Amino acid sequence: MVEEQEIFEKVKESIVEALGVDEEEVTPTATLFEDLGAESLDLLDIVFRLEKAFGIKIPRGGIQQDIIAAEGMKEDEVLVDGALTALGAQKLRERMPEVDAARIYEGFRVDDIPTLFTVQTFVNIVKRVLEEQPRGH
Amino acid sequence: MRIGTDIVAVSRIKKLLTTHSESTGRIFTRNEIEYCRQKKNTYEHFAARFAAKESVMKAVGKGWLQGLNWTDIEVINLPSGAPCICPHGTLKRLMQQAHISSFLLSLSHCKEYAIAMVIAQ
Repeated sequence: MVEEQEIFEKVKESIVEALGVDEEEVTPTATLFEDLGAESLDLLDIVFRLEKAFGIKIPRGGIQQDIIAAEGMKEDEVLVDGALTALGAQKLRERMPEVDAARIYEGFRVDDIPTLFTVQTFVNIVKRVLEEQPRGH
Repeated sequence: MRIGTDIVAVSRIKKLLTTHSESTGRIFTRNEIEYCRQKKNTYEHFAARFAAKESVMKAVGKGWLQGLNWTDIEVINLPSGAPCICPHGTLKRLMQQAHISSFLLSLSHCKEYAIAMVIAQ
């Protein structure tokens, strides 16, 4: 099992290389867009780097799909016209405990979920994928 | 009717595709890659096509949730040269669900940036 600190160090390295930011800026709570100045294209760069670093495949939109898949809910229970319902917001807060809960509210647009991403979000994504798809398999 | 728009820095797409050249086929179709590579300003054309794909994602909304892949959205050129969206796979299903029959697409690019505007109708 890869330790969380080891994952964090590799995530940090990938983000530093992709965004050209200083190592000190890449803290677990730093947000990719607001704090580190990432654009949507940079997320793809980071994902490709993480896939290479860990030998994994990160599914596109995995977090969003997880919210709907959770507990076998139907899409309209958590989403209405692309925006989170109260239940959807609650599920997303549970799924992304690293994000300030106040930023996730009823009516939040699911397309804007990437703006919530912090460095820790990527650590958690890698951890989850590694658990589901052990390295070397 | 819904709209979507996106702007892409040409330098960013160039950096992405040169750093991760093995992943080009995860974003662009074989036709798109051939089209862009035969152009003098290769990365301007890649950037415009990427902006078009993002614009379609925005116009459709929640595309990620349904497993929409970048290559489900293909930009092709009509004999007149006008670009248009050719839907594949999951995008076709999403269009049926959202009662979208087609997309209107406009692209523009210069050395630094490429933009796309999409109308789903």
